[in-house]
Amino acid sequence: MGAAILPIFSRAAGVAAPFVLAVAIGAIVLAATGHEPLGVYQLMASEAFGGERRIAATLTAATPLLLTGLAAAVAFRSGIFNVGAEGCFYLGGMVAALLGFALAEWPPILVVPVALAGAAIVGGLWLIGPGILRARLGVDEVVTTLMLNFIAIDLTSWLVNGPLLVRGSANSATAPIAAGAELPRLLPPTTLHLGFVISLALVVLYGFWSRLAVAGFRSRLVGLNARFSRAVGIDVPATFLRMMVLSGLIGGLAGGIHALGLVHRFVAGFSPGYGFTGIAIALLGRNSAIGIFLAAIVFGALSSAGATMQLFSDVPIEIVGIMQGVVMIFAVAKLGFGQARAARA
Amino acid sequence: MIDPFIHAALLMTTPILLAAIGGLVNRVGGLVNIGLESMMLAGALVAVAVSAATGSALVALAAAVLVGALIGLAMSLVVTRLQANEIIVGLGFGVAVAGLVRFILKSAYGVSGTFNPPGVAMLPRLAIPYLSDIPVLGAIVSGQDGLTWFAWAMVPATAFFLQRTRAGLRLRATGAAEATVRAVGLSPLNIRDASTAFAGAMAGLAGAHLSIGVVGLFNEGIIGGRGFIALAAFYFGRNAPWRTALGALLFGLFDAAQIRLQGHGAPAELVQMLPYVIVIVVLTGLGLADRGRPSRRSL
Repeated sequence: MGAAILPIFSRAAGVAAPFVLAVAIGAIVLAATGHEPLGVYQLMASEAFGGERRIAATLTAATPLLLTGLAAAVAFRSGIFNVGAEGCFYLGGMVAALLGFALAEWPPILVVPVALAGAAIVGGLWLIGPGILRARLGVDEVVTTLMLNFIAIDLTSWLVNGPLLVRGSANSATAPIAAGAELPRLLPPTTLHLGFVISLALVVLYGFWSRLAVAGFRSRLVGLNARFSRAVGIDVPATFLRMMVLSGLIGGLAGGIHALGLVHRFVAGFSPGYGFTGIAIALLGRNSAIGIFLAAIVFGALSSAGATMQLFSDVPIEIVGIMQGVVMIFAVAKLGFGQARAARA
Repeated sequence: MIDPFIHAALLMTTPILLAAIGGLVNRVGGLVNIGLESMMLAGALVAVAVSAATGSALVALAAAVLVGALIGLAMSLVVTRLQANEIIVGLGFGVAVAGLVRFILKSAYGVSGTFNPPGVAMLPRLAIPYLSDIPVLGAIVSGQDGLTWFAWAMVPATAFFLQRTRAGLRLRATGAAEATVRAVGLSPLNIRDASTAFAGAMAGLAGAHLSIGVVGLFNEGIIGGRGFIALAAFYFGRNAPWRTALGALLFGLFDAAQIRLQGHGAPAELVQMLPYVIVIVVLTGLGLADRGRPSRRSL
């Protein structure tokens, strides 16, 4: 029988399994609290994909996740466990919002690229430190990038509450950006914006780069086998640093696009954990472009469904958080679908 | 003037110290526990619910320990038996438990955000006669709750356990030389699971301290990143119990200072981020100190 089919099947099953588990655990939680799981899931599906507007909402929700997933993937495939995209997202969002407000006089064709470039650059700069520490001193980048997330969140929260607080505004937010700095809407009245196209294009570009470009191959080789890479003359520390900074650039850009495309300003609590969800997306997508795209759509569907589901049922929106968390927990678990399992207890 | 501050600093040290000791033991056993925050959150909620239902703070603590340990065990099993990455699983538990807690608040208690049932029994504060009148010393030793005493007693107990007992040796071997543990016929995975369950129990206590020891109600933001501060504390302490306790005390001081500063319009956020900055500085210093040595990698 299908010796060739089996690996494909087991790979597909391995990717689908976390979602199956999430649906199952979600059903248990729903049933235990007196809700009817099937009905809830039907409502969720129709809220995520039922009609043009709902699909647009799902794609809008998937937009930041495409890029945070990409940010995680470019680091992971080189063997760098960067969990710092969340911090880059905050900083990038704030810089883009500030530039979008300050450059109101500029023509839109210039403001948007400048603001997005600023967002990406601050994200890249933010991760130079952990990149150097990892590349030169072997300091564990998981802890440094995790800590930098909290520093970035506190720092931006301090800036919008203190030095950058808008006069006469009680909520901790920057001033709204100029109309010319807003990314154009694609399907008014929905909130789907140009940022989705930009993010999708970058994921496609990554697909080609990772498979066809020499640099893409080299950086993957470093992730697969650093010693071999060193032996064939690849500068491994430089690759670590480059991929860390690239990951930061993408994370910062993600925040910038979110600010210019959807929020139109920077507010404290700017991200509900997009950077962390991006980690799950990269792992579920096995760092491949198509995998990142599919996983981002699924997570986007979950959050867009959750946002409106509350209007039509008494199911708390938190069911979505539970399911997203379960998917993360089992994202890279080996659930016994033919993968090598060292059975030892 | 100084006495209330010392008292507040010690009070805020307790939850960080409890969770940090748990995380330390867990890390010695070979698992970096990013999920402490989620176990603290569950412990805090359960402590309030059980305390209100039974009127007993002791039963509430037991329930918080149990729930924390169960979550810890569940997390550990996914890591050890399904070979999932501990960082992702820890972050995933953070998302899932936060969602579950809010879901339960809404569907079981019909509240969102804050849960303040009537009749919550608080942890009693133990006033010590005579000593309580002495400045500074009185603020340190008198008027603390039992969990604070327990947390500080756990510091030498953990040091003794790790260095002087057979089980401590086995735990250290599990983290440092897994193959050796297997070779002598023990199960490193079982030992690691036990250490994560212990970390969960300690984190559950830490959460209970915040809810029924400090404020007397539950709020979804009650932990406020202290699980990650605990992580910072045991990284600061490099797996040594006393150094970790010093880190926890330092961060408890920051926490108390931060709460005070909030009333004065001073930048509390900047104080809040100090623990994280310190950990990066410490890791950088350590990296500079053992420059050239090849590092152990894992992904």
